[in-house]
Amino acid sequence: MQIKVKLYASLRRQKFDEADWECADDDRIASIVEQLGLARQDVGTVLVNGLHAGWDETVQEGDVVSLLPRMGGG
Amino acid sequence: MSEKTISNNPASVVYQRCTVDLASGTTTFAQVPCKNLEDVLGGFGRSFQILAERDIAEAYSPENPVILNTGLLTGTSIMTGMRSYFSGYSPLKQSGTGRPGAMWSTGSGNFGNKFKWTGLDEVIFENRSDKPVYALLKEGENGPEVELKPADHLVGLTGHGKIMALYQEYPDAHFAAIGPAGENWENNYMGAVVMSTDNELKSGEPKSRFAGRGGMGSLMGYKNLLAVVAQSSDKLQKITPEIRDVNRDILKSGGSARFQPASQGGGGGTWANIEVLQVFHAVPLNNFRPKGNDDVERLFRDEVEKEFDIATEACHRCGIRCHNNLFYKNEDGSRGKLAAKFDFEPLILFGSNLGVHEPAKVCDLIHRCDLLGMDAISLGTTISYVLDYNERHPEKPLFNGATFGDYEKITELIEGAGRGTLPGIARGVKRLSQDAGETSYAMHVKGLELPAYLPDTNPGYMFAIAGGHMSMGTHMMLAKEGKHSLEEWTQAITTGGLLQVGYDMIGLCKFVGVGIGHDIIVRALKEAAGLEIASGEIVAAVRRAYLRGLALELRQGFHEEKEYTLPSQVMDDPNPKVTLPKFITNEFLGELRQRVWSVFKPEMEGLLPVKGE
Ligand code: SF4
Repeated sequence: MQIKVKLYASLRRQKFDEADWECADDDRIASIVEQLGLARQDVGTVLVNGLHAGWDETVQEGDVVSLLPRMGGG
Repeated sequence: MSEKTISNNPASVVYQRCTVDLASGTTTFAQVPCKNLEDVLGGFGRSFQILAERDIAEAYSPENPVILNTGLLTGTSIMTGMRSYFSGYSPLKQSGTGRPGAMWSTGSGNFGNKFKWTGLDEVIFENRSDKPVYALLKEGENGPEVELKPADHLVGLTGHGKIMALYQEYPDAHFAAIGPAGENWENNYMGAVVMSTDNELKSGEPKSRFAGRGGMGSLMGYKNLLAVVAQSSDKLQKITPEIRDVNRDILKSGGSARFQPASQGGGGGTWANIEVLQVFHAVPLNNFRPKGNDDVERLFRDEVEKEFDIATEACHRCGIRCHNNLFYKNEDGSRGKLAAKFDFEPLILFGSNLGVHEPAKVCDLIHRCDLLGMDAISLGTTISYVLDYNERHPEKPLFNGATFGDYEKITELIEGAGRGTLPGIARGVKRLSQDAGETSYAMHVKGLELPAYLPDTNPGYMFAIAGGHMSMGTHMMLAKEGKHSLEEWTQAITTGGLLQVGYDMIGLCKFVGVGIGHDIIVRALKEAAGLEIASGEIVAAVRRAYLRGLALELRQGFHEEKEYTLPSQVMDDPNPKVTLPKFITNEFLGELRQRVWSVFKPEMEGLLPVKGE
């Protein structure tokens, strides 16, 4: 199935801004991140269709998966 | 520190104090045994115990000290170990009863190292001098020496100007100075302490670091103490294999990676937060009121790079290299003059939050604030209130009538605040909004202006004790994790959030990025300070230090309901443009306060000295 992947900030600079991505029906977020060639420790936040999601969640055809780097300040 | 073991005996660790009476010029040295682990770890954990012993009703009173100290790892070879701390009762943070709140403020640069290497752990500046002076701290043949020197030649110079003038006299020293803002302490409560870096001294460019929060520079100004010089030979600690491993782990930890240069695969410092928060339209714009548009994107790194040369630089030997300094580009493309340091707080608070989106103009505003020696957060947030007020009341504007985006007029406000001619601004947004009669959109909690994270996303601000994001680590929780239940927020504030302050005890930067009880910290204390302290003991000491700070707030009259709240606009007029969950209502805050106090209050008992003891 096809999903859309959006990357932000340092992740975008490593790979791409936005791309269509083929994945299997039962792929979890963690494995999609791996397929993308991103280090899990670099990803701080995952959104599926704008809502926060966990590593073990699966996605549906047409979902938009946004990956944000770890953030912090202070 | 003079001992190498601690176990259950903190008094076996002794620190070197010098008390300087600015009125008489006398100095007194003492070896002070530690009372508890907070004393041992240092920083505000130690200074707040001294402040707690005093009954201070006015920040500008001779009895209110400025305490300069270090943390246990300051001056060691642990990466980032160069913090020094300035503590006192703040002119800016003030309770509804009029009593000042205790504060600390901290910065990096090489000043902390040099200070520690003089042999001193702590200097308490008492009373006030009747003439401008600077303090010379130096290592002598028989231990540290402290002297007060006339500072007439420094009067009126910028913070950087004072540093460079003193550098001519003391080429082997580092410096902490105040700017014109601190000198105008009567009219400016947000003066910062400006601290020198190696890069600054070598290049002559104003690449200072700042201990900005809470007006510690203004308090120095009140005392007529214009600068502190720390003169010592370099005593670089030998990097043992164990220390090398700790430093390697700091650099490799995901926590610090986000602050490392983008060119090295890091996150590029706090600057990257803009792009991440913009996903939710949660970047402060026009006084913390995002419009759901793409205005802030002109401050994204890629955009700024088109116009400026960005250099990632560092404090003395730090591999995290979190400073992003912007240089103008010469016509031939080569690097020109320094424009400004560009990090998340100043970038947003002098950029999008004032409606200014051109990087060159933002640079100029940051640069002016820095040279005048003010806290960028307090000044930026107070000015954004002025612009907001003026937009709401074009018929009776404040000051020069500046509104959002009005760069020229904003520069006038900055200059006036720093030079002491606009006390309405420079005494902070709490007082200004009360005088103006409109407090709902004044972005402060307990008199301290909010940093560049929306209060709509962080009820944890209520329980920060020394600046919204420096002393309560919940400011990114909603954007990071989407959590918004009462249980999750109670848990966050009463456990992990408060531990943020631990770094302000041990002498390291928060950008090390791991929890304060992490194995990296335990190993760092063992290898560099020779003290075996279990993770649980560190966490417990940090917790006590935080709770002591909170107890001190209540003792100074902060009302446990009315003053532990957020700007009322957040609850009464939630911003529909922010795409994160809207969960902060008056009822939510009321329930959250109750739950948090019920956890904290029993633990706060006995943390403050009892009168007469
Ligand atoms: S993390 Fe940044 S501020 Fe801290 S020591 Fe390193 S370069 Fe300096």
